[in-house]
Amino acid sequence: MAALLRADFTTLWRNRRSFRLVLIVPLIILVSWKGLVDKLGGVFVLSSCITIGLTSIGLMGYSNAIARDRDRGVFQRLRVGPVSSWTIMISRLLVQIAMIMVMTLLVFIGGYYIDHIHVSPLGYIAGLLMSLLGGAVYLGLGQAIVGRFKNPETVNSITRLVYFIFIMIGMFGELGLLGKETQEIMSWSPYGVVREILAASLEPSAWTFKTTYALLAAVAYTIMFVVLGVKWFKWENK
Amino acid sequence: MNQQGDNAPILDVKALHIRYGAFEAVKDVSFDVYGGEIFGLLGPNGAGKTSTLSAIEGLLKPVSGQITVAGFNTREKPLHARANMGVQLQATSFQPELTIGEIIRLFASIYGVELGEDTIREKLAAINLEDAAGKKIAQLSGGQQQRVSLLISTIHHPQLVLLDEPTTGLDPQSRRQLWERIEYFRNNGHAVLLTTHSMEEAEAVCDRIAIIDHGRIIAIDTPAALIEKHLHDPEVLKVVRKGKVTLEDVFIGLTGTAVRS
Ligand SMILES: Nc1ncnc2c1ncn2[C@@H]1O[C@H](COP(=O)(O)OP(=O)(O)OP(=O)(O)O)[C@@H](O)[C@H]1O
Ligand SMILES: [Mg+2]
Repeated sequence: MAALLRADFTTLWRNRRSFRLVLIVPLIILVSWKGLVDKLGGVFVLSSCITIGLTSIGLMGYSNAIARDRDRGVFQRLRVGPVSSWTIMISRLLVQIAMIMVMTLLVFIGGYYIDHIHVSPLGYIAGLLMSLLGGAVYLGLGQAIVGRFKNPETVNSITRLVYFIFIMIGMFGELGLLGKETQEIMSWSPYGVVREILAASLEPSAWTFKTTYALLAAVAYTIMFVVLGVKWFKWENK
Repeated sequence: MNQQGDNAPILDVKALHIRYGAFEAVKDVSFDVYGGEIFGLLGPNGAGKTSTLSAIEGLLKPVSGQITVAGFNTREKPLHARANMGVQLQATSFQPELTIGEIIRLFASIYGVELGEDTIREKLAAINLEDAAGKKIAQLSGGQQQRVSLLISTIHHPQLVLLDEPTTGLDPQSRRQLWERIEYFRNNGHAVLLTTHSMEEAEAVCDRIAIIDHGRIIAIDTPAALIEKHLHDPEVLKVVRKGKVTLEDVFIGLTGTAVRS
C-alpha cells in the first residue's frame, strides 16, 4: 500500500498540467474577485473558490486519471499482482483527498493574504471538514462518469462539459444573473449544496435550516454517485 | 517447493469455461504445468489463449472450472495464488510518468521484495540496460520494454511464470536472450506457461505444448510427439512444404487453413 501510494503521488506530481489547473484556478478567482469581496461577502468568495477546486479535482483530476490508466492497462498490470482492487482504488482516492486538503488550505491562505478574508479558527476547521465532504460529492460524480464511459476521450469531454456547466451556471446562476428559478435550481445542484455547506461551515453562526437540508442533499448525492459509479465501473479496457 | 509436495503440478487448470456474454470463448479446457517445465499454449488469433491466462491471473471470472496455483485455489485464495505467479500481459503498460527504477521498486514492493538502488541497477545491467533506471518507459524501444517487463514479472522469483506472447516484436538476438532467461527459470524448477504464434519458438523452447482452437484444446503433447503422431494425416500432408513435416504443418493441419477474424 505504501509503495502504491508513493507511486500514485509521484504520478500526480509529474502530471503538472492537471496539478496546476486544480490549484491555480481557485487562486485566480480569488485574485480576480478581490474587489467583490465587500459586495459578495468573504465566505461566499472562499466557498465558491473551494467548490470550483473540488469540482476540478473530482472531475478533471480523478476521473480523467482513472480513465487514462484503465485505457493504458496500468490497472490490469497491478491487478495481476497480489493486491486487492480495493487497495488500488483507495490509494488513488487518498491521493485526491490529500489534494483536496492542499487546495483548501491554499484557498484559506490566499483568501487571508490576498483578499483579507478572516475566518474564526473553528470556521477554518469546519470548512476543511466540509471541503472533504464536498470532495466526496465530486469524487463520486467523477467515479460515476468514469464508470459509465470507457473511452478516455469521452470521459475527458464529459468532465470538461460538466465542469464548465457547473462553473458558469453555478456561479452566475447562484448570483441570480440567470433569473430566480435558475438560482433556486442551482442552489440544490451538487454545485450549490457544496458551496452552501462550505459557506455555512466557515461562518457557523450563519448555519440555517436550509444548510442542514443542503448537507443532507450533499450526502445523498455522494451515496447516489458512489453507488452508480461502483456498479458501473469495469477494470478492463475492452 | 509447493504446498502439495514435489509431484503436484504448479499450475492445474480443470474444466475451465469462459464466456463473454453469450459467446463461449473457452470450453472445457484442462491442462497442468509442472515445475521445471516450459509449457506452450498455441492457437490461432481469437482461440482463447489470453482468456485462459486471464482466468488464471484472476482478471476474469470463469463460468466454471478450477484453477490451482502452487496449491492455492485462485478463487478461494486469490492473493496467495497471485503472489506465486509472475505475469507478463499481452498488452501491458506501466505508468508513463514513473521512471523504470521507480516502476521496478513499486512492483517489487507489491510482491514483498525490497530492492535498493544498487540492486535495481544490477538487475538492469543483467538485461543490458544499465543506464535505464532513470528513464521513462516510453524512452525504451519495444524490445527493451519487453526485457524490463520480463524482469518485473519475475522480480519475486515466482513458482509460476505466465507470459503472453513474450517474443512478439523482438529481434532474433533479443528473442534468443529471452529464451535463455526462460530456460534459466525452467532449469531452476519454476513452471513457465507461455503463448506464442511462433512454431519455431514452440519447438525450440517448449517441453510440452497444447494446441487450442475455438476455445477447445485439440492436442497436448511434446512437440516431437505431436509431429510423430500426425506425420501421416492427410490434412497435414496437404500443407507440407519441401517434403519435411514441421510443427507448423501439424498446427495448420489440425486448426485448418482459414484465417481467423
Ligand atoms: N473482453 C472481451 N469481450 C468480448 N469478447 C472477448 C473479450 N476478450 C476476448 N474476447 C473474444 O474471445 C475470443 C478469445 O480471445 P483471446 O483474447 O483469448 O484470444 P487469443 O487466443 O489470445 O488470440 P490472439 O492470438 O489474437 O491474442 C475471441 O473471439 C475474442 O474476440
Ligand atoms: Mg492473446
